[in-house]
Parts: sequence; C-alpha cells; structure tokens
Amino acid sequence: MDLDIFGHLATGFSAAASLQNIGFALLGCLLGTLIGVLPGIGPIPTIAMLLPVTFGLDPLSSLIMLAGIYYGAQYGGSTTSILVNMPGEASSVVTCIDGNMMARQGRGGPALAVAALGSFFAGCVGTIFLAGFAPLLAAFTRQFNSPDYFSLMVLGLVMAVVLAHGSVVKAIAMVLIGLLLGLVGTDTNSGLTRYTFGIQELWDGIDFLPLVLGLFGIIEIIHNLEHPSRQQTAIRTRFRELWPSKQDFKESWAAVLRGTGLGAVLGVLPGGGAVLASFAAYTLEKKVAKDPSRFGKGAIEGVAGPESANNAAAQTSFIPLLTLGLPSNPVMALMMGAMIIQGIQPGAAVMTARPELFWGMVASMWIGNAMLVILNLPLIGIWVKLLQAPYRFLFPAILLFCVIGVYAANTEGFQMVQMAAFTVFGYILLKFDCEPAPLVLGFILGPLMEENLRRSMVLSRGDPLIFLDRPISAGLLAAAAIIIALIVLPQFRKTREEAFQE
Amino acid sequence: MARLRRPAVIQIKAPQDFGAGVLFIVIGLGGLIFAQDLTFGSSRNMGPGYFPTILSVLILVIGLAVALKGVAIEGPEIEEIRLRPLVVLIATMLLFGLLIKTAGLVVTGTLITVLAAYAQAGVRIRETVIFALVLTAVITVVFVYALGQPLPVWWGEN
Repeated sequence: MDLDIFGHLATGFSAAASLQNIGFALLGCLLGTLIGVLPGIGPIPTIAMLLPVTFGLDPLSSLIMLAGIYYGAQYGGSTTSILVNMPGEASSVVTCIDGNMMARQGRGGPALAVAALGSFFAGCVGTIFLAGFAPLLAAFTRQFNSPDYFSLMVLGLVMAVVLAHGSVVKAIAMVLIGLLLGLVGTDTNSGLTRYTFGIQELWDGIDFLPLVLGLFGIIEIIHNLEHPSRQQTAIRTRFRELWPSKQDFKESWAAVLRGTGLGAVLGVLPGGGAVLASFAAYTLEKKVAKDPSRFGKGAIEGVAGPESANNAAAQTSFIPLLTLGLPSNPVMALMMGAMIIQGIQPGAAVMTARPELFWGMVASMWIGNAMLVILNLPLIGIWVKLLQAPYRFLFPAILLFCVIGVYAANTEGFQMVQMAAFTVFGYILLKFDCEPAPLVLGFILGPLMEENLRRSMVLSRGDPLIFLDRPISAGLLAAAAIIIALIVLPQFRKTREEAFQE
Repeated sequence: MARLRRPAVIQIKAPQDFGAGVLFIVIGLGGLIFAQDLTFGSSRNMGPGYFPTILSVLILVIGLAVALKGVAIEGPEIEEIRLRPLVVLIATMLLFGLLIKTAGLVVTGTLITVLAAYAQAGVRIRETVIFALVLTAVITVVFVYALGQPLPVWWGEN
C-alpha cells in the first residue's frame, strides 16, 4: 500500500470537483443548515430526513451532497446552540454554555465566526489525517478476523453506553433492545423470519428512517409542545457583526489547535466521535486556561475548542467506517446506510477497488466544509430569521419534512405505521427517562454482531475463549472491561455526571 | 401519578425507574416467548434463535434489576402525560400514509400541515391554512420538481 497522501487527494479532487458536484455540495449544505438550524433538530434527524433526496444521484455526487448535508446540519446545530441556547444534540451541548453567553453579551457574531472558522480548520486537518491514516488502518485491518470484529463492536457499544445521558444500566438495556430490533426480519443464515408476526413488510427488517425519525424527530416536537417554556427566542445577529476582533483571534487560535488535535484522535475511537470530542475539548480548555472562572460567562475558547474538536472528530470518525465497515456512532450508521443504498459496501475494499470513489469521498468532505464557510456565514441573517419563526409554524413544517423523507425513501404506506409505532415507543422511553441514542447504534450493529459471533463460534468449535486467545480481540475486550470498571468506580462516575450537568 | 401515592403494600419509590424496568421485562419476555419457535442450536452451530434468546434474557435480567431498584430506592416521578400532541401527530402521520398515493402531495401536504397544527391549543385557522398552502407549494417545488423525489403531486396521478 503506497502512502502518497497528496497524490491520493489529487485523485479525489479531480473526481469530486466538477461544477455539478460543487453545486450538489452547495445544495446539500443549504438544505442541511436549513433543517439543522431548526431548534431541537439535531444532525441525526436532519440527515435522516434529507437522505432520500440523494438517492437519485450517481454514487459520488450523492456522497458529496450527503457530506454537504452532514456539515450543514452540524453547523446549523451550532448556530441554534449559540443563538437560542437549545442544543439539537449532545455534541453541541457544550457550545451552548459559552456560545450563548457570548450572544447575550452581543458577541454572537464572533462566536459564530470562530465556530465556523475553527471547524473549517479542523475539517482541513481532519481530512489530511483521514487521508494519511485510513490506508494504514486498512492495512492493519487485514489481520482482523470475526472474533476481532465482534470484540470491536462490543467496545463500540460500551463506549456508546458511557456517553449516553443518565443511568448506565438503562443505557445497556437500550443497546440490547437495539440489537434485538436489528434482528427483526429474515435471518440471513437460516432464511427463517424472526419477530415478523406475519407482517410481510417486516421480512426485510425494520426500516431505519422511520425508526430514527420516530424516536428523534417526532419525539422532539412532542417534547417541545409539552414544555412551551423551552421555546426560547433567538438572539439577533447580522452579517456585519460577524467578524471577530484581533483579541478574539488571539484568544482562540490555540484553543482551535488543541481542539483539532484532541478531536482528530478521539474521533477514531469506536463509539467516539463528535460528542466525546466536544466534552473533552471543553474540559481541556478549562484546565489550561489562566483564568478558568471566565468559562460559562462567555469565554471564546469555550466555543473555539469544542467546535473545532467536534468537527475534527466528525471527520476522523469516518475512518472506522471506511476501513472496517463499522459505524462508530448513529450519524456514521446513517452514512453507512446511504453508501449501501448506492451499492458501496463500506470497508477497506472500497479503497483498492474503487479508489476514485474513496478519495473522491474524502475530497468531498473538504468541499462540504469549505461550502459551509462560504455559504453559511454570509447567510446568517436568513438563519436567524428562521430561528425567530414561531414554533406553531415550525413544528408542522418539521413533521411534513419527516413524513416526506420517510415516504420518499420507500414509497409504502406501511412506513408511516412503523414511524407511528416508534413515536409511541419513543414517548414511553421519554417518560421513563431512557435515552434512545444507544438503541440506534445497537440496531445497526445487531445483524453484524450476530454474524461475527456465529463465525467466531464456528472457527473455535463453540469455545468462547477464542475471544481471549486472539491478541487483537483480547486487547479490545480488555479496553471495554477497563471502561466498564471505570464507570463502576465512584470517582469517575462523579466526573461523568458533572460533565453532563454542564 | 396520584394513584401511586395511596398507601399500598409495596410503595414504588421511583416510578420512572420502575416503569423502565417493567418495559424492559415486557420486551425481554416478549423476545423470549417469540424466540421459542426458532431453533436455538448450540454455540458451535448457532440457530436463528440463539442470539435473540441471549439478548432477551439479558434485557429481562436488567429489567428485573431496574424495577427492583425503582421499588427500593427513591427516584424521580414520571412527568405529566399530555396525550394531545402524541395523538394528533400520530393521526397526522397515518393519514399521510393513507392518502398520499391517491390524493397526491398538494392535497395531502396541506391537509396534514393544518391537522398537525392542532397538536397545540389555540389554532388560528386562517393563518394556518395559508401557511399550509405556501409550505406545501414550496416543498412540492423543491422536493418533487427540483430534487425528483418519487411522490405524486396531484390527485389521481398514480
């Protein structure tokens, strides 16, 4: 495997950077931000809603548009966090703290600009990191066998549990329920149907989009309608107020560098990604600051660090997906779904079999990032207007987007029945304080995990010790065990609770 | 949840945890019962029932633990349940699924946008109808004409 990073990137850019593809990247960014900026709609439902839009395009264009949607959704979420103090998802929770304080002090513009520029820088570094690291990891994963894949998934799910809000035990149950839901449908090994209750539409399994949009999109609307006080108003910001002062630059560049480095590394971990990176970056900034008491009162480093970190991690969390074919978080699971629909099975094989597609995709991430800065910053006035729209207009519109997204992906009326069922289920989970994010990851990994368990057991003739005999597998399981041990230890548990409280 | 405050033989101290526990128990039991028809196999040769059974048992065990914890240790109450948003939004989704094939996006979209607005009290009907028409028109142009999504636009197109 040659490691000519820039040669590969050049291949990618020549494949990706046609005028038409840049147009799709632009459109993706625009739509992603448009939906992502709506209060309470995080990247997961945004991407899920817009996924079907990309299905009609050729594989590369569709992935490029998807990258645009992804970054647009992420940045839209940050905008909402800063101006409305309403995080769409866990990774922008920390941005709310200092970002919203800055906005209240009339410095919302610089906060948004630093978030965008920091993200762009992190995105560039992340892309190079991805280009350099993916081939190495791909070479390494040639040694991976079924037991190693199984253990890697265990580690990923353990991480998802640790990163979930609230009770760890409930989060474990949610992962297991997700795995079980993932098994619904025809068993690939025996050809028998499982848990289909005679419903023919379930033979192919439960559909991903109705599940995600029911559990996240619709439930969010219901939650907001039940708590009218949460509908806060946006703080006005105009384009000419955007540019940060020299002082802002001076205070934030180091935070951007630290955030980028931390995010790039944490993004590669299974179960890691944007959430872990932004929390860790915020904690780091607070630790290294000369005057930590400024945090929570509008410190620009508290925006620059986490925003750079979550974008770097968003970029590098593609590495496990592209080299191992394993999504490390729900957003990557969506990306994987989109690739499979385009006929691309994510994994190391793509890199060698269809290099123009693989490197084109990497290049498209950079293009998506660049579009974000070019497009979103100047249009800030429009996004703010959108944020100021009364909720009585927003929620029917969000609902319409959700149903059209689900229906367009698979034009069957039964899709709506599935979405309704998951809305009810999500409502019960909401009332019992169970977070659905770990369930989604379990749902995606269910069939993969079963298949790798089965293969491992065939290899070892039914001896479970095979997971400890293989060094890679044993190492991954040891890591998972250490993480579990850490949660059980009271000291660490306290830090975790504090982190989520902030 | 006033009914839980009545003196009972077993006092539930954390209704949220107890509820979650019961939910997990139901799912675990359901998973077990419906896996009975599937061959379990052995670890050397896993049948289709092997992995689901293991998962269901684990869910069941966690459910029991969480429910017991809910009985024994003080915890938060279940928030007030307001059925209006849930019921209206679900009705809206199902109506969309029922109508879209025959009625097309323009009629269905407008109708369900208006209906969805009733998830909240105090609907201003004129304003809502105008908004629904504009929204549906924009969405139709963007999604169907510009992005080529497979949705019928007018009544009777399919």
